[in-house]
Amino acid sequence: MASRATFRWLAGILALTLVLAACSDDDDASGEGSDTTDSTDPDDDTEITLVQQGSALEAVKDAGVLKCGTRDALPGFAVLNEDGDHIGFDADFCRVIAAAILGDAEAVDFVDLETEARFTALQSGEIDVLVRNTTWTAGRDGDEGATFLQPTFYDGQGMMVADDSEFESVEDMDGTSICVASGTTTEGNVATEFARLGITVNEVLSFADVALIQEAFIQGRCDGWSSDVSQLTGLRSEFPDGPDALRILPDVFSKEPLAPAVLDGNTDLAQAVNWAIFATVQAEEFGIDSTNVEEFLESEDPNVRKFLGVDEEGGTFDPGLGLPADFALQVISQVGNYAEIFEEHLAPLGLDRGINTLWSEGGMLYAPPYR
Amino acid sequence: MTAPATTARPPIWRDVRYLRVLFQAVVVAVVTGIGLWLWNNVQTNARTTGIPLTLGYLDQPSDITVPGNDLRPTQSVRDAIGVGLGNTVRVALAGIVLATVLGVLLGIARLSTNWLLSRLAQAYVEVLRNVPLLALVIFSYIAVFLRLPRLENATTVGSVFIASIRGVAIPWYRIEGSSLAVAAVIVLALAAGWLAARWRRRVNEATGQPAYRWTVGVATFAVVVVVAQIALGSPVSLSGPAVDGRRISGGITMLPEFAALLAALVTYTASHIAEIVRGSIQAVPKGQVEAASALALSPSQRMRLVVLPQAMRIAVPAIGNQYLNLTKNSSLAVAISYFELTKVTSVSIGNRAPAVPSFAVLLLLYLMLSLALSAVVNIANRRLELVER
Repeated sequence: MASRATFRWLAGILALTLVLAACSDDDDASGEGSDTTDSTDPDDDTEITLVQQGSALEAVKDAGVLKCGTRDALPGFAVLNEDGDHIGFDADFCRVIAAAILGDAEAVDFVDLETEARFTALQSGEIDVLVRNTTWTAGRDGDEGATFLQPTFYDGQGMMVADDSEFESVEDMDGTSICVASGTTTEGNVATEFARLGITVNEVLSFADVALIQEAFIQGRCDGWSSDVSQLTGLRSEFPDGPDALRILPDVFSKEPLAPAVLDGNTDLAQAVNWAIFATVQAEEFGIDSTNVEEFLESEDPNVRKFLGVDEEGGTFDPGLGLPADFALQVISQVGNYAEIFEEHLAPLGLDRGINTLWSEGGMLYAPPYR
Repeated sequence: MTAPATTARPPIWRDVRYLRVLFQAVVVAVVTGIGLWLWNNVQTNARTTGIPLTLGYLDQPSDITVPGNDLRPTQSVRDAIGVGLGNTVRVALAGIVLATVLGVLLGIARLSTNWLLSRLAQAYVEVLRNVPLLALVIFSYIAVFLRLPRLENATTVGSVFIASIRGVAIPWYRIEGSSLAVAAVIVLALAAGWLAARWRRRVNEATGQPAYRWTVGVATFAVVVVVAQIALGSPVSLSGPAVDGRRISGGITMLPEFAALLAALVTYTASHIAEIVRGSIQAVPKGQVEAASALALSPSQRMRLVVLPQAMRIAVPAIGNQYLNLTKNSSLAVAISYFELTKVTSVSIGNRAPAVPSFAVLLLLYLMLSLALSAVVNIANRRLELVER
């Protein structure tokens, strides 16, 4: 009798203690101090000190591995080979970031994500950085809580039709049905573009599975298949009836800058990722690639020496990004410069550099000075 | 020796009634505390990452076009969700009706004395009960409805029937002018028909003349409708489907996605309902069957008048559960791009509506649908219950 009553009392006290502990626990989950004000307006976050913002980049360094959100079945950007490794343009940029932050291009934990789960994975902390041919839009910067970084590929949305159809441009496609991939900017863009041209789209069907889109397209359920031109090129190269059965129309009807993304508020990680990408572009500008980087270590050019983190008698240049001084050297020697990454993965699909060349050659790639 | 009886109250820390209340209060406090802590967590995370948890996104333009519907991309997300909800209800209602019919027939066939019929029914049930529904939906779409001919080679029967990969079209009514007026006329006609039927029943009770309730009721309905049609200048007309370039105009088109989803849902749910019906028929006491035979009822009369009514009483709660499952399983339309509620929500999230509030709204809407459906099933259940004195 006494033990039963005692048990009840102990249980009651334990429960009360838990309640009190829970109610008084007010910390924010991100581990920052209470610098954020109580309003939901992100513009109020002006009082951020360097010490407290070290969290996300430090967390990656402490973990020793970069969690990179990607995909597993887009030819050219990220596919799995027979050994289960991720091969592709986006996969290599995951390695670029890992080489910059951690010094090891293979210290990457690839997390394959469905299109609909891209941003929730970022928001929940399942991944550190999203490198998954994702378009940088205002809405995603805002409502999705993502911070987009230097675009790795300036793309556009296009339309692919069967080679034997009579469509020569998107303007001929009044009243047609279009298939797109679900969860992308493509869905909204098709209706917008058709409205802009003064024609109407009959149906926009969106499927999550590329195999299903292909099947619907082959059977004639839809007249056109719309997606980023880079994706269309990759899919056309894998088409079961051969790439010549399809034709990509010349119109490009939206801007699709594909850029990596990190979560809002992780400024240090954002800057680290940015400069990792800039390193690949700057290397191409200097003419440094993975084969000749060793020779460039002996260069007399002070800019190159700073860039590669060569020791000078006064010390090594460290801009305070939280990256190792030789991060550019690691990136180029372990992965390569932008041109090498492009040539290896996207050129075989038939994609030209187009506007994805250096600013000095009339393209969009411009790395800020590393000094 | 017995202990002296005492009527004094035990001390409060040993008083069972007090302790019971205290413990329940503590449990409530703990659960509320955990709930508040989780909510606080969500709010803090949302604030830190700058993601709003409001419902303001409902008034933004949706950028969604729904096949088979006039929804404009500039209309709000709220309108798009409304269209999706309508599509879910359409699939659910059609699915429930068809699955019940097919399921009951299959359940009875399973118990048939005809060996081939019962084995076929058994094979059907065993196969379809054990197949994942998502696979069935995708299979139904790819293997069946995507194999329909292209529009230029469509199977047509004049202006009455077109079957193609763009949809199956039949003639349908078209209302010019106010559809509210037409709806009002229909309601009026139904009321008139019902009143006429009631009048005939009273005549029958008073004088013994044959009631002809159905005949008179339907005739009154038809008369009112025809008179209104002429009086209002024929607002309702029949439009037949026709191939118009790359699409079908006129009539009503059943999209291949709708058909595939419906076919998969119906065949799957019917297999479950068949098992329920079989079980409940077998649960009817054998004495009932023997008594019915003794009354010289034929086997079909026996089934229809004695066994089925009693079996249905047992089956209704379980079948109601299958209806709920069917309604929620319609969300698999996401896989084949049929724009019901889940698909519309998914697309709006892709068009940068915030994920957490969108799914909260989705869950609430499914909850409302399910509660409404189970309320209807409960009404049916209560009416069938054995009333005990």
